[in-house]
Amino acid sequence: MEYVYSILILVGIYVVLASSFNLIIGVAGLISIAHPIFFALGAYTSGLLAIHFGVNPIAGAVVGAAVAGAFSLMISLPSLRVSGDYLLITSIGFQLGLLQVIKNLELTGSQGGLSNIPTPIAGPERGWVFSAVALGAATVSVFLIRWIVRGPYGRAISAMRDDELAFVALGRDATRIKIVIFAVGCGLAGIAGAIYALYFQYLSPEQFEILASGTMLTMVVVGGMGSTWGPVVGAVLLLALPQAITFLRLPLAYMAPLQGMIFTLLVILFLFLRPQGLVSPEPPAPLREKER
Amino acid sequence: MSAILHLEGVRKSFGGIVVADEITLEIEGGQILGLIGPNGAGKTSLFNIITGVVPADAGDIRVNGVSVAGKAVHERARMGIARTWQNMRLFRTMTVLENMVVAPREYAAESMLRLCLRPGAVRRAIKESCEQALSILERMQLAHLADSAVTDLPYGQQKLIGLARALMNDGRCLLLDEPMAGVEGHAYETMRAVVREEAQAGRAVCVVEHNISFIKDLCTSAVFMSAGRILERGDIADLLASKTLAELYFGT
Repeated sequence: MEYVYSILILVGIYVVLASSFNLIIGVAGLISIAHPIFFALGAYTSGLLAIHFGVNPIAGAVVGAAVAGAFSLMISLPSLRVSGDYLLITSIGFQLGLLQVIKNLELTGSQGGLSNIPTPIAGPERGWVFSAVALGAATVSVFLIRWIVRGPYGRAISAMRDDELAFVALGRDATRIKIVIFAVGCGLAGIAGAIYALYFQYLSPEQFEILASGTMLTMVVVGGMGSTWGPVVGAVLLLALPQAITFLRLPLAYMAPLQGMIFTLLVILFLFLRPQGLVSPEPPAPLREKER
Repeated sequence: MSAILHLEGVRKSFGGIVVADEITLEIEGGQILGLIGPNGAGKTSLFNIITGVVPADAGDIRVNGVSVAGKAVHERARMGIARTWQNMRLFRTMTVLENMVVAPREYAAESMLRLCLRPGAVRRAIKESCEQALSILERMQLAHLADSAVTDLPYGQQKLIGLARALMNDGRCLLLDEPMAGVEGHAYETMRAVVREEAQAGRAVCVVEHNISFIKDLCTSAVFMSAGRILERGDIADLLASKTLAELYFGT
């Protein structure tokens, strides 16, 4: 049963990660690959708060999200003010640099990782409580993003994506919209990190490597970039796939490379054969009758 | 000092190419100034300099007496500079009404914080924008197209929507970049009537246009530009009678 719970919890966490990554790259069109580090910022923040101060888990998650959101400003403020293209470069630097800090700081457990994170809840209920929290967080994230994208704010984002120059010439502050969307996306990744830290009680810096953004990107691309439900489908599918392969009972040495090959192959196949992903993006936020 | 738009000694060059050379001009409320000249004269570049798309190297630009120096494109738009584009630049995935609703000088839903804290006020503001947009479309006899996708409309109507979207700004200064290019028939009449009405309402209008009959029809005065410089200015009839301009414009 614990196995089922842990998969449900991972599904919840990855739905939050893929959806928020989709908000950044698919909806707002901002090219960043630093999503794993914001996942890490939330995880390490809430983990450290729990270890050293015994902070309430919900407060820890909120602080974790706030820290991830605040750190996102460090790369979005300077790079988006110049031009959107710089975000990619700064995000690579930020991802690599900050992970090095985490790997070398004693506070974060250096290379060995951060262990002994106290669990906020013990006993037989632990599994289903965490599953409910993770799936609840996933649901809230998906609907929050849907509310942003389908509402008047999303209408501004669509206009910005259609023609940014015309958009700013009307008096819209495109830079601010991008900075806010980036912060919201990164903050959500921070919440996913907090749930991860408190459930698994151990964080290893390796899992937040730059390659992890490849996994998240695969979920977004396969599921459907720019659509609300696409990343949900992508996350569930790509978490189920490795579990399915384990039933093949292949030797362990083949498993990891096989997984990597399947993920890469999926991205290539989808980009060629179905670039919109499994779920096509919806049309931009309509102006509904009741808004008039 | 009643000029709404005031340019003084505005200069801009890209490397060795001078697109604006000591441009000085004033447009008053109610005036429609024609900006004419051959291709590459720097007419559209001047619009880009005024709106902040490309920053000027030197000179002073004032709107309602306030300098726009150092202000970003969106800040200048909020000071009341509205413009249209030669190739319209409509938001192609959106309907006519949606194009216009995101266009007022202040878009209520632009701040996520306000959207969360005061959703009622945002909703009311959007409702007002819709009403404003529909009344502009009504004037252009296009209200029945409010829910059409902009890309489904014929070219002339798209041009009108470009103007309609700019009018959402309600700014005192209106810059129109070739509003008539490719527009004929009914849309032509509508465009002319609306531009005239907007000037009568007290806006300072500047029109870049190759269609000389449109310029003659609407403008009282014009400025002739070539190679980034203002060669002549004054009464439209005198300008068109000038021999040097005819040579520059049409070749010899």
